[in-house]
Order: sequence, then C-alpha cells, then structure tokens
Amino acid sequence: MPKENPFIRHFIISLSVFVVLLCVVVFSFTLIQKILVDPQKYFNTDLSPVETQFVVVYISLIIISVLIAYILYLILASRTRAELIARSITKSLVISREQFEGIYEGAPVPYITLDKKACIHNPNKAALRFFGVVSEEIEDKNLFSFLAEEDKNKAEKLLQRYEANIPINREEVRMITKSGVIKWVLLSVFEMSNPESWSYPPIGLATIFDITEQKKLDEAKTEFVSLASHQLRTPATTIKWYTDMLTSGGIGQLSPKQDDYINRVHKVNEEMIDLVDTLLNISKIEIGTFSVESKATNVQELFESVLVELSEQINKKGIRVEKRYRDALLNIKNDPKLLRIVIQNLLSNAVKYTPGNGTITVTLKQSIFEKVITITDSGIGIPKQEQNRIFTKMFRAQNARNLITSQGTGLGLYMVKSIVDALGGSISFVSEENKGSSFIVKI
Amino acid sequence: MENKNDQKKVLVIDDDDNLRTVLTDKLNISGFETDSAADGEEGLNKAFHFHPDIILLDMLMPKMNGLEVLEKLREDKWGQSVKVMMLTVLEDTNTVAQAVDKGTLAYVLKTDHNLDDVVKQVEEILNSQ
Repeated sequence: MPKENPFIRHFIISLSVFVVLLCVVVFSFTLIQKILVDPQKYFNTDLSPVETQFVVVYISLIIISVLIAYILYLILASRTRAELIARSITKSLVISREQFEGIYEGAPVPYITLDKKACIHNPNKAALRFFGVVSEEIEDKNLFSFLAEEDKNKAEKLLQRYEANIPINREEVRMITKSGVIKWVLLSVFEMSNPESWSYPPIGLATIFDITEQKKLDEAKTEFVSLASHQLRTPATTIKWYTDMLTSGGIGQLSPKQDDYINRVHKVNEEMIDLVDTLLNISKIEIGTFSVESKATNVQELFESVLVELSEQINKKGIRVEKRYRDALLNIKNDPKLLRIVIQNLLSNAVKYTPGNGTITVTLKQSIFEKVITITDSGIGIPKQEQNRIFTKMFRAQNARNLITSQGTGLGLYMVKSIVDALGGSISFVSEENKGSSFIVKI
Repeated sequence: MENKNDQKKVLVIDDDDNLRTVLTDKLNISGFETDSAADGEEGLNKAFHFHPDIILLDMLMPKMNGLEVLEKLREDKWGQSVKVMMLTVLEDTNTVAQAVDKGTLAYVLKTDHNLDDVVKQVEEILNSQ
C-alpha cells in the first residue's frame, strides 16, 4: 500500500472545508439580499426597516468576518504545516545522507565510485588506507591501472567488461599500492542504481576485498602439503625399492617364509602410497590448487590399465568383469590423470565390496548429448538410510565397515565427487543392499 | 648377469642415500657401470669426469636442484647431448614441463615405478637412436 502523504491529506480536508464555507457564504449572501429587500417579511420586529437592515448587515458582517478569519487560519495553518513537514523531511534526508556518508567513509572495506571511464572518485578512507595514498593522488586515475603488472591482460579485459556494463563479481586480481606492495584482492564493480542524483555522474561502485593474508595462508598450506607428501613418499619409495630388490632375487634367494613376509611389507607399503596420494589429492582439492589439464583421453585405455592393476584381486575373488565399451569414449577431451583416479576408485570399490564370483559391469556410452560411464557391481550395496551421506568425507556405510576384509578411509567417494565436479561432470548412483550398486558418471 | 648393458655408464644423482644405494645396486646387478652423487654440485662434477651415457637425476636436492644441474649440463659441449631421465617423488607438472623443455627424455615418479620398471626405462632410452 502506498504511504499516505499527511500534507495532501491536510490539503484535501482544508479544501473541502473551504468549499463548504464558500457555499455557506454564497447562500448567506443570497439570503441577506432577499432579507434586505423586504425585512418585514422575515422578521417580525418593532424596528424600522432601516434599523432592521442595519442589524442584518451588522450580523452578516460579523458572520462573514468570522468565516474569512477561519479561511485565513486554514490557509496559514496548512502552509505552516507544509513547512514543518518539509523541514522534517529535509532533516531526515540530511541524517540519512550523513549516515550514508558515515557508513561509506568509515566502512572497513575499500569503496570507490567510478565514472563511465572507470576513473576513481570519492575513494573512502579504507580505500586510501589500502593504496597508502591521500585522495588527490588517486582521484581521476583509472581504477584498472592499479592492477599489478602480472594482471595487465586481465586489467584490459575487466575494463572492457566495465565499459560494456557487465558487473565484475569477486574477480581475483593483484593490485599495486603506492609503496609498490602487491596485494591479492577480490575486486567487484557494480552499476550504481541512481546515477542522475549525483553531482558528478558516477556509474560504478567498486569494492576491494583484501585477501593477501588468506593467499599467504593458502600458499603455506600448499607448501605444507607438498612437503608432507614429499617426506612421506620418500620413505615409502625406499621400502618399495628395497622390498623389490629382495623379492626379485637380485641379491640372493629368500626362503618361502621370508618371501611371504617381504611381500606383505610390500603390499602394505603400496596401500600406504595410495593413502598418501589420496590425502594429497584431497588437500589439493580443499586448498583449491587442483588443476584440470584437458587433453585427448581414451577412457577404454584407462579402464584397461586400472583393470590390470586390480587383476590380482579380481582373479582371487573370481569376479567376472563384463565390458560393454561399444567403441565409445575412445577419444574425448578430458583430464586423463583425474579421470583415472575416478575410475580407479570406483572400480576398486566395486571389487572390494563384491563377494566372490560376483560380476562387475563397465558400460560406456557416448552421444552428442552426453558421455556416460557406468560401473555396476553385484556387491553388498549401500543401505538406504545411509545413501544420502555416501559422498561426504570420512563416511563409510555400516555394512562396508563390517566387512572383515575391507579397509577403507571413507575418503575415496568424497575425492571422486570432488574430482568429477572439478571436471564439470556429475556423479550419481543407484544401490540396493545385498544386491549391488551402480555408479553413473557423466562427463 | 645380463651382459647387454655392459660398458653403458649410468650416473645416479639423488640426495636420498637409501634410494641412491638401492638404485645403483640394481643397475649394477643389471650389468651397468654406475657412479653416484648425493647433490647437484657433486653430480655435475662427476658427470663431466665420468661422462655417463645416461644420468638419472633427482629434482629436489640441496645445493643445486635437478633443474639447475640440467641447465648447467646443457651449457656444456658434451653435456648438451647426454641423455637424462628425471626422478621425482612429486608430480609437479610445472617442474616436469621445465625439465622436458631442457631435454629430459623421461621422468619417473618414484612411488609409481618398480625398480624393474626403472631399469627397463633406462634400457629403452639407451637403445633408442
């Protein structure tokens, strides 16, 4: 509902009263005129007609004076009221402007208004602090000229976007301050909603969000992960190569018992290497340093190489692998390394959770609309009540945990989902407990 | 022992004592003549004196890292054509790309390869051309 304007309401009431009074005056005049023509007809008095006329005129004048006084009062009152309202509106406007300026000036986030050429006007205090300058030093300079040398190409593109009125939303760029320090920021520029009311025509409001500290933290994390991974991989490689040497017979034959022991060490070490790789991948995903490198990818080849890797377990359990490749996905553009991790995890889960003599079916499908990989097993399945948590980190279904033979970290499917997301695809599944599961990856 | 690798000289440059030892042992068993170095600087000196047919070069090393060794090698008349295979525990695409630019013929991610695989790859590189 539109807000009622008190001034208009008062004006309408005053006008109505005025009209009513005017009608009364006009009516009175007509009546007085008639009375004056023949006063005796209306008044039965002892006064002479002249005296009666005088009394009528006198009373009429009093009534008219009262009416005029009232009309004058109405006019003056409405004017005073209008003035009061105007004064209060002006005051609230001033307060609102002061509040706006206070918020704009005192905000901890740098704000800058821009004209149509992206030149800086009215930088707030936080913006001046950010650049380490006084207002005059950056007024009228182009905002995008403050992007660091490394982001010059980006600066040109952003300026073009600004000129084309396309909003810039949290763009990660480096900006250079007066002292030459380069800071990482999230830069956003939005169009101002009401440019006409400003004394100069600003059309953009830029906000600069300093993320230098977060960036440093991220770099430290990445460094830590790669260092930790290096420190863990080196001893793992040592164990791998020394057990290799022992089992290959290069330095003399081992007794069957010794050979068995060394093989166990070797196997556990391989599992540890896998775990380190998984942790490294998850850290990369979480830090956001996971890079996708698209190139020609043969999905069938990836499946074949993973199946070779898993052949020992597959043969041991007597699992039948049905391949429905149908000449699909022989040459697609994707990241083969990441896709291999996805396939490796899904297939090794299928092998792990399928009982002896079960079946695993690999189906590949390619059309102009979609590329689909489906891995179906006849395994233990996922309990219905736990299905919604299957892609969460560290989650393992109860029936999977109960399997004596299965070891797992609950990181695999979380990693798979993160990678598929990073590849711009999607993953879903259909599963029934004790019947099997089907994982569908669309890429 | 296999004789096909006789007289082929391999230099292993790796700062990790354990890995260097087992790798040179394996190469010796496979019939190669080997020498080894524990850092980039020592490796470069040995390379210039020992003139190996192939260098197995670790990337992360003190004093001089693998990429710097590779750079110095390529500045030398003999070194510019020597075959180099990179050893690494980290799959860092950036380093790999730089190493390939400087003429590395193969790279071995140590955790992914058995010793037999490494020897096989060395033989393949030496037999190519």
